[in-house]
Amino acid sequence: MTIRHDRKVSILDVMGPVMVGPSSSHTAGTARLGRVAREILDEDPVAVHFFLHPPLAATYRGHGSDFALTGGSIGLNVDDPRIPEAIRIAEQMGVDITFSEEDLGDVHPNTVRIEIEGKTRTAEIAGSSIGGGVIEVFKINGFQTRFKGDSPTLLLFYRDRPGMISEATKIIAEEGINIASLSCSRKQRGKDAFMQIDVDSPLSAAALQRICSIGDVARAQYLDRIP
Amino acid sequence: MIESFKHLEQLAADRDLAEVFLEADEQEHAVPREQILEALRKRRAVMRDCVERGKGGGISMGKLVGDEAKKLNEAFQAGKTFLDPLTVKAELYALAVMGENSRMGVIVAAPTAGAGGVVPGMLLALEEERHVDPEKTVRALVVAGGVGSIIALSANISGAAGGCQNEVGVASSMGAAAVAYMMGGTTRESIHAAAMALKNTLGLVCDPVGGLVEVPCVKRNALFAVHGLTAAQLALAGVESVIPMDEIVEAMVRIGRAMPRGLRETAEGGLATTVTGCEIGQRIKDEANQRRAERAAERERVAQERKDGVAG
Repeated sequence: MTIRHDRKVSILDVMGPVMVGPSSSHTAGTARLGRVAREILDEDPVAVHFFLHPPLAATYRGHGSDFALTGGSIGLNVDDPRIPEAIRIAEQMGVDITFSEEDLGDVHPNTVRIEIEGKTRTAEIAGSSIGGGVIEVFKINGFQTRFKGDSPTLLLFYRDRPGMISEATKIIAEEGINIASLSCSRKQRGKDAFMQIDVDSPLSAAALQRICSIGDVARAQYLDRIP
Repeated sequence: MIESFKHLEQLAADRDLAEVFLEADEQEHAVPREQILEALRKRRAVMRDCVERGKGGGISMGKLVGDEAKKLNEAFQAGKTFLDPLTVKAELYALAVMGENSRMGVIVAAPTAGAGGVVPGMLLALEEERHVDPEKTVRALVVAGGVGSIIALSANISGAAGGCQNEVGVASSMGAAAVAYMMGGTTRESIHAAAMALKNTLGLVCDPVGGLVEVPCVKRNALFAVHGLTAAQLALAGVESVIPMDEIVEAMVRIGRAMPRGLRETAEGGLATTVTGCEIGQRIKDEANQRRAERAAERERVAQERKDGVAG
């Protein structure tokens, strides 16, 4: 299910971002996709594998997308002047970085699937860099979604059961926070499920703690706007 | 939400265009107007810095471009340019920004990096030459961004989606509206400036040599900065586009869809597959492969050293 108030691209999205060149879709957008993977992993990566959709695989080198994806995945911002050195920095950190080509189906040309491994867990995302640094992540850890990283977001991994949406949204409501959009997906009825809640203002650590302790929640994660 | 340019014209007929965009954005994104203006002040400053750095030139990542801004600046300083200073500066500043971009310098995507020279070229040249208050330039950036955000409702702003019309074309359109605004034009004039600029870039393909944002991108930004200025000039004289802006955007989307994949940023057509383009493309691929091999060898060496260290 999805409840969504679609947002228009903002003035600052169009007249921005401030970024390291040379290409907003191949450098800034891809850096942000790498950054999303890093934020969802939520620990230092030890390996990051990038699977590039064929049109991106054909063009990524010349635009420095390899530096940008890598830079994002080790936590660099799109305007960080160290992005051109990102692969070397990652190697010094002992992060194993690989790039390969993979047909990701009927998707935007600039689409990538990212597998990222940390010491204690792994994460996987697939998303597109649709231009001007704007991104659309459509898969997180195997769940269908639509994540743009343009607002604070709560990601909830849980076991599918009645009442989960109301319990989570009740806590958010009690914080006085407005929900911009909410979407859920599940792998199977009564099994692993996922909820993405985009909110208009930041969520407190206390509220996140309360949401974590809802029964059947495996993991709750709060992401700030992806810079 | 401002849904179309027709809607914009109704909303902003007798009002300050930047004010209308700020109000709409504040409502839509819950970002206070002062925060938007402050961010744009900083971005104007980044553009300004970028122009200063870029005037000095320097070789690009792909080594295809580098001294364009430097050459034009030297000619200009020596009084050897024949165009009027506004036009020369628009070209120069666009070249400077794109030079920085090609060296992986810090720039403002406006709306993209590959088209990032057009808007600063037009606006900063006009600001200097007509002694416009920098705060007015900041408000003109609001107008440029607002125009882009309406276009983005129906079009993906990327060369991969619809060729260069979607990047440099859109930038030139945004800049034309902003220039008309800076020169005291009405909302209607800004919209027609945007329309004439965009209309005359339709069909522009994205065929970067070697897949790099260098050839033709750097010089193209300079030429289309001037294109945008001329569109604003026509609009301010009362000339109007016969085809309304909303329909031009629709046409752009349709043309983008009809554009072969080879002409949408893939470097598999157009200039990229000319004899010279292919030679350059091959050299870039060879160099990248060589770098990769060197990195792999280095990794192996480090791993071996670690192993030896443990054994010893």
